[in-house]
Amino acid sequence: MRHMLCKYWQHFVLLPVALLWLSPVLWIGVTSLKTKSEVFDSAAGWLPDIAQWSNYPAALSVAPFGRYLINSVLVTGSIIAAQLVTITLAAYAFARLRFPGKNLLFGLFLVQIMFPIYAIFLTNFVTIRELGLMNSLWALIVPFVASGYGTFMLHQAFRQVPSELADAARLDGCGHLSTLWHVYLPLVKPTLVAFAIISVVTHWNDYMWPLLVTNSEEVRTLPIGLGLLAKADSGADWTRLMAATIVVVSPLLLFFVIFQRRFVDSFMHAGIK
Amino acid sequence: MPRFDHEDLRDIPAAAMMLLPSLVFLALFTYWPILRSVWFSFHDVMLGSPEIFFLGLENYARLLADSLFWKSFGNTALYTLLTIPLSIICALLLAVGLDTRLRGMAFYRSAFFYPVMIPSVAAGMVWVFLYAPGYGPINGLMAALGLPRLEWLYDRSWAMPAIILMSIWKYAGYFMLILLAALQLVPRDLYEAARLDGVSATRQLLHITIPLISPTLYFVIIIGVLHSYQIFDYVYVMTQGGPADATNVLTFYIYQNAFQFQDIGYASAVANALLLFIIALIAILAATLGRRVHYLGN
Repeated sequence: MRHMLCKYWQHFVLLPVALLWLSPVLWIGVTSLKTKSEVFDSAAGWLPDIAQWSNYPAALSVAPFGRYLINSVLVTGSIIAAQLVTITLAAYAFARLRFPGKNLLFGLFLVQIMFPIYAIFLTNFVTIRELGLMNSLWALIVPFVASGYGTFMLHQAFRQVPSELADAARLDGCGHLSTLWHVYLPLVKPTLVAFAIISVVTHWNDYMWPLLVTNSEEVRTLPIGLGLLAKADSGADWTRLMAATIVVVSPLLLFFVIFQRRFVDSFMHAGIK
Repeated sequence: MPRFDHEDLRDIPAAAMMLLPSLVFLALFTYWPILRSVWFSFHDVMLGSPEIFFLGLENYARLLADSLFWKSFGNTALYTLLTIPLSIICALLLAVGLDTRLRGMAFYRSAFFYPVMIPSVAAGMVWVFLYAPGYGPINGLMAALGLPRLEWLYDRSWAMPAIILMSIWKYAGYFMLILLAALQLVPRDLYEAARLDGVSATRQLLHITIPLISPTLYFVIIIGVLHSYQIFDYVYVMTQGGPADATNVLTFYIYQNAFQFQDIGYASAVANALLLFIIALIAILAATLGRRVHYLGN
């Protein structure tokens, strides 16, 4: 017994904590299968009597979730595609080119990390209005095209690439762009994937900014759709709302479960480098 | 007078071309908004109105006398200064617990990390349900344990702690993962030596682990400061700043002034106060922890 305790003490501590951490998502799942009356009845127990799978189609029919999904894919996809271009070019310039004022400019890039959209949403909102982009998918994309964080991450990775490799490519007559494409990019793939994952998670889940600049179904994203449903139901129909929540959170969670190693490596990687 | 040799100047055209795409967007959506927010704060600007009047320091005078501003400032500081240390301590303990060859590692890691992947709006909404005074499971659990039921988000003194508790659940897993990566680089023989000398586990944590991972801890604190902005989403979804402004924070107060009262000028003054708060916080962290980290790191 003593031996068992010594061997497994970590599990005795960690397992209850892990279950505590998992309880909200378990609760969402369980509630999404209950009837409305079971939710408010404290004598009904923790599990539904009969699983109400019909809550799912009911949830999906109250709002155009298909449209939201397409918008989320378009917005997140465009942001990451644009970011990969801007950060690759900028990081290469900072890591390998020599020009006056480099440190100052690099510092200016880092300013963006300190002041994300949450800090400067007000004047950005005014700008988006003046550009006539309100209530369009562009409004959800353009503020995020440049990324100080991505430039920083990739800059660190590029500096690890031995400069002899680049010099050899230059001697072979490669210009900057083809050196970047053929020598640098293949070597920093893990960093690119890490940044892409972090960026996708961030922008897929964005709430405040889309909330401010969209006001019609055609341009709403999944989180906004979910928020609207919550407002409309305002605690009246938790079963439908929890079913919708499962639908909204499952794409990323599913990706996470399938590519767990990759995701974990990415977030760890981002920390050290 | 700086001197540039030929080498330094040759790359300028290429560098300009490569930095331009980023700089255009940074200028438009980061630098210009910051400068403009300073300019707005000295003027009377109404949302949707083309007329702008110069006010001088009037918005700032109003700010200093505005008790609601000070309240939301205090709430922002309270949230930031409690959530970050608490979730990092939590993350550190979890990371230390997982820093062995443990069966079920993937399960534990996922269990603690998955809240990071959930949209803030979904997380906030679910916790509204969990905290519900009548039928919420948290009160159900507290009643079962013989503890008093609480009104949570409807109670002035419990609403902010409730949001902080939720934030710890949401972010601790992220910090844990970063810390775990750092822990794995700590040489094992240091612990062996400490154990042979009879050093207790707590002292090992305080005198070996924490100093050796201090650069990562510092990084995690900075990440924590930047994530604390997200409180807007939780306040918007869970409390709308209530009850009685007990959870009103600067970002939400900016939102209220700009979009409910249409007063962009005053909202900009509040926004600048937030920018100053963040700059001061990061400067203090860099001056205190940043230095120590460097010293210990060497």
